[in-house]
Amino acid sequence: MEENRAIYEALVKFNEKEVKRLVNKVKEEGGPLEDVMNQLQDALIEIGNRFEREECFVPDLIYSGVIMKEAVAILDPMSSYKSGASKGKVVLGTVYGDVHDIGKDLVAMLLANSGFEVIDLGTNVEPAKFVSAIKESGAKVVGLSCLLTISFKAIADTVKAIKEAGIRKSVSIMAGGAPVTELVVEKTGCDYYGKDAVSGVKFALSVYEK
Amino acid sequence: MAEDMDKLYSERLKRYITANRNEKPDRVPIRPFAAEFTSKYAGFTSQEVTHDFEKAFEAVRKCAKDFSWDATVVNMIYVWSGLVDHFGQKYYKIPGIELDPNVGFQYFEPADEEGAFMKEDEYDELIDSPTEFLTNVWMPRISNNIVAPGQPNTYRNNMAWLKGGLSLMAYGGAIGGANEKLKSECGTVSCISGPIKAPFDILADKLRGFRQVSLDVYRQPDKVQKACEALMPYLYMNAKVASDPSKQVPVSVWLHRGTMFSKDMYERFFWPTLKEIIIKLWKEDGIQTIWYAEGNWDKWLKYTAQLPEKSIIYHSDKGDIFEVHKQVGEKFAISGGIPNDLLAFGTPQEVREYCKKVIQTVGKDGGYLMDASAIIQSDAKIENMRAMTEATLEYGIY
Repeated sequence: MEENRAIYEALVKFNEKEVKRLVNKVKEEGGPLEDVMNQLQDALIEIGNRFEREECFVPDLIYSGVIMKEAVAILDPMSSYKSGASKGKVVLGTVYGDVHDIGKDLVAMLLANSGFEVIDLGTNVEPAKFVSAIKESGAKVVGLSCLLTISFKAIADTVKAIKEAGIRKSVSIMAGGAPVTELVVEKTGCDYYGKDAVSGVKFALSVYEK
Repeated sequence: MAEDMDKLYSERLKRYITANRNEKPDRVPIRPFAAEFTSKYAGFTSQEVTHDFEKAFEAVRKCAKDFSWDATVVNMIYVWSGLVDHFGQKYYKIPGIELDPNVGFQYFEPADEEGAFMKEDEYDELIDSPTEFLTNVWMPRISNNIVAPGQPNTYRNNMAWLKGGLSLMAYGGAIGGANEKLKSECGTVSCISGPIKAPFDILADKLRGFRQVSLDVYRQPDKVQKACEALMPYLYMNAKVASDPSKQVPVSVWLHRGTMFSKDMYERFFWPTLKEIIIKLWKEDGIQTIWYAEGNWDKWLKYTAQLPEKSIIYHSDKGDIFEVHKQVGEKFAISGGIPNDLLAFGTPQEVREYCKKVIQTVGKDGGYLMDASAIIQSDAKIENMRAMTEATLEYGIY
């Protein structure tokens, strides 16, 4: 049992070389790839939990995501991350007028690592683009990201556009980024304040588990 | 300068300096860090003030007059598109060009190693000679016009250095004139000199990029540390040479990524070189620093508390300003703490009440300067900015 958790242990300790060595070993020996994936996923969940307890930090999320990507590339160089059945679709983007993407990319990475299909619209996204992406994908969750206080208006405009398109009831809207607060979420008509990337993933999970 | 304006300026300068030194002035000074709010109020688009710095200065003067600001930044919309264009800088997105005309300029950070302005194997070059690295390697990468030494020269390259240099002189000279006008027309103090960043933030923001440096702190921590140490003397000198010769107006350090790291990483990469700069500026040069704590820096308060008394003015953004006051209020003046979401969505009465509470707790013994938490952009309501001024004039008198 202990041996089987070695990849998990190496990843939660951010030991990149050891993760790669162990994954290569399993591959060479023809071992169970599913078990490798489970260990990697469990490790990312644990790192997310530690992040919530302030025992891990943003660079740890970024670094573990990169190690995960490298490990998956060893297992299956031809494809990006595969996690079996999708947990659901999430539309994500930085709102119009704002070109910052670090927070949004981090949420996208964590969502993908948690088994979601992410429709990443990029930055400076016009409200109409969010609306058509939600319609086309049928996503039940949309995440609005921003870094600037001037983006409050764009968040409100996006929510308004979603309402006007008649799809407000079918989609849950979360907003996050440095200037966002509970008050901003309330006043702009969103459903959830994603105070950090991990809480955004938990919100998406809660919507799809309903 | 008219005599009454001269008198007003002298009163405000004294108020500002006294509060900065954590002492009790006649009244809480109003010292907003206001960016796109000024252009909105003055009736300019963000595009106009970014392309024409005289309009940006004019917008600040209009606000300084109408809102009775004691001190403010002469132009918080500090990126001038002329300079960006002449050097061919890639990392700024400009309103009216890449952005909507009504949103402010933004810094665009490369997302991956391929786009990084400094590559993962170039630490030694930077550490050996920051000036050579920045000039010969970094500049050609961040510019559409500049070519690296050893590459075929171009007309565009020659013109970029020439026009870029002339633009720097033009903009720098204009800021001097704008400071004077702020003084003579509004009686308002230009509140900062010598803006710098922490060495780690220069590395994370402008050289490697945050995503890349997040890997470097694991993969090559010794080099990250040495790079911060190598950049330190340059940043100290940047602050010193651009500081107020009379040492009345503080320099400023715009803290950025420090809150995102663990205690061990903060202790190793961020804090030592930053601490040294601040202490040197204070002890050797008698220069105060505005500690602009962007985000929530409460978890690092015990480190900040180690700095010499009066060496900084602690600006609180998303931290708990009452907690900041409890922990470091004895040693340093404090500014900010009026939530930006309140300025954007609250009522004037709510803003007044919040300002009153901050004045009567954080500012009760002096050493407090009225300002919003984060830089004030166009989302702030005009009536709420007015309420901030009125509350300070009403409750802030000692």
